Amino acid sequence: MIEVKDLKKHYGDKQAVDGISFSVKKGEIFGILGPNGAGKTTTLEMMETLRDIDSGTVMIDGIDVAKHPQKIKYLIGVQPQSPAFQDKTRLTEVIEMFGAAYGEKVDAIQFLRDVDLEDKAKSYVEDLSGGQKQRLSITTALVHGPKVFFLDEPTTGLDPQARRHLWDLIEKVRDKGISVIMTTHYMDEAEILCDRIAVMDNGKIVAIDTPKNLIKALLKRGFTKKQHVEQANLEDVFIDLTGKDLRNE
Amino acid sequence: MNKSLFTVMTFVRINTRRFFRDRLALFFTVIFPLIFLFVFGGLNSGSGGASFRIALINQSDSSFAKDFVKQASSSGVFKIDDKASTLDQAKDLMTKSQLDAAIILPKNFGTVAAGEQIPRGEAQVFYTQNNAQSGSALVSILSDQFSTINKKLVKVDTPFTVKSEELKQKSLSAFDYTFAGLLGFSIIGMGIFGPVNVFPELKKMGILRRLSTTPLKVWQYFLSTMIGQAVIGLLSLSIMFAVAIVVFHLKIVGNPFELALFLVLGIITILGIGLALGGWAKNERQAAPLSNIIVFPMMFLSGTFFPRFLMPEWLQNVSALLPLTPVIDGIRLIATEGKHLWEIAPQLGLIGIWMIVIYIIAFRVFRWE
Repeated sequence: MIEVKDLKKHYGDKQAVDGISFSVKKGEIFGILGPNGAGKTTTLEMMETLRDIDSGTVMIDGIDVAKHPQKIKYLIGVQPQSPAFQDKTRLTEVIEMFGAAYGEKVDAIQFLRDVDLEDKAKSYVEDLSGGQKQRLSITTALVHGPKVFFLDEPTTGLDPQARRHLWDLIEKVRDKGISVIMTTHYMDEAEILCDRIAVMDNGKIVAIDTPKNLIKALLKRGFTKKQHVEQANLEDVFIDLTGKDLRNE
Repeated sequence: MNKSLFTVMTFVRINTRRFFRDRLALFFTVIFPLIFLFVFGGLNSGSGGASFRIALINQSDSSFAKDFVKQASSSGVFKIDDKASTLDQAKDLMTKSQLDAAIILPKNFGTVAAGEQIPRGEAQVFYTQNNAQSGSALVSILSDQFSTINKKLVKVDTPFTVKSEELKQKSLSAFDYTFAGLLGFSIIGMGIFGPVNVFPELKKMGILRRLSTTPLKVWQYFLSTMIGQAVIGLLSLSIMFAVAIVVFHLKIVGNPFELALFLVLGIITILGIGLALGGWAKNERQAAPLSNIIVFPMMFLSGTFFPRFLMPEWLQNVSALLPLTPVIDGIRLIATEGKHLWEIAPQLGLIGIWMIVIYIIAFRVFRWE
């Protein structure tokens, strides 16, 4: 679905993205990990047509991003790092507007139902919690039935219940056959959610594989961790005490 | 419906609804210009009649003097200030320019002297050097009034007389100028300060950036803003017209449809300046100074708060070319002078040129983030 070849981008002297290549299959969740400044966001932005490409190519569904940005926009959905909406807008109106941006008349309630926001349909966006805004943002990115879905640190700042709920949503999107590309700083999230992972540092991809294989490879290199087997961790305690149900945030 | 147009109209519909939910926006587009209208309208109607502020000090207790005072107070020619009851107090107020003149009716004013049939008297008028003009005008008004009274008391033949007649032809009042200027001020407020405040905020929150990942085009976004602004602007200006007609007795002689059409043209042209500034600025710090540099000179030079004919000629020639000037002039020409659109071709032409220039710039400099 996505083919990235030798992609480069520099800002002044800094080579933000330094010749990376990878491919993402249809219906796959692909995670890009890396410390701040590794070039994750710049990579996403070039794939999303938001930033000019210095050299290299990005092909989505056989279309060159640099040559046909307008066509690409119909194929991709974008979830920004911190979704924001104009205030005094009802949830249904937000969806109608995003639909209209693609020239489509959409069933707003159906899209709200997909992310469990149906009962908030008539609320204003400013009355939503962080997790609800993330969910609304996800559904607005899918109004036009894209083939590729980009998420930039989608669960940052959410409580454990909201995070789990969002993971379920992202898996549901993948199960529809949409390719998902996401960045995250949470390793547990990447391990649970991502089918494959690329680890970036200083603008380069230093490793790319499934989470399982990456762990195996590390162990093969002789890595040992102080053995300390616990049957549960603090998050298990938290979820046990407070339940998995999503809160009326 | 055409897909591109469907996009535009959906944005217009929802953004217009949002406007009516936003109390602050409603205040600034509807109430704020009305406050200016009341302040400036009030100032103008106050100086409309040529009345003198005078102190009328009556030292006589004859019935003739009392009648004279009563008539003078109700005539409307004088505005009598009762703060001064002695000549010294009146002098003090005159030096502070709070009074134009003082009239004194002396003790024996209007009394019938022994052996006489009719009352006599001599009124005294005091004025300062600065007020020589109003002083002499006052004297001539008083002499005129006295001669009418004299005629009633003493039969005299007057072979030479003056007959004055007010022309039916309507002249522009100061308010007509002020009102067109205030509409211009209101159009600037909506069209420039609106986008200049809103766009940087939308950029900061990443809302425009998010839109730029959709196929939405800049012209669709601009067009939806233009239509929305035209609707809201017409509504706000109509309220101003209604208030001006009811409260300040503004008479609209022009065709209301031509006026509305012209207002829409003006609103959209000025909005282009706001779109260019707000669309270019990355943040408030860029937007605010640049918009002030452009807006304030235009506001004062185009005749929003005082009419352009008061300016020196060279300045009039320069300010005639500013984009807001033909808008304000055109509004006045249609609304209060009853001109038709084809009769204000110079104004329309200038607006047309500005509209093209402004929107070319606005499209060129627009940034989604």
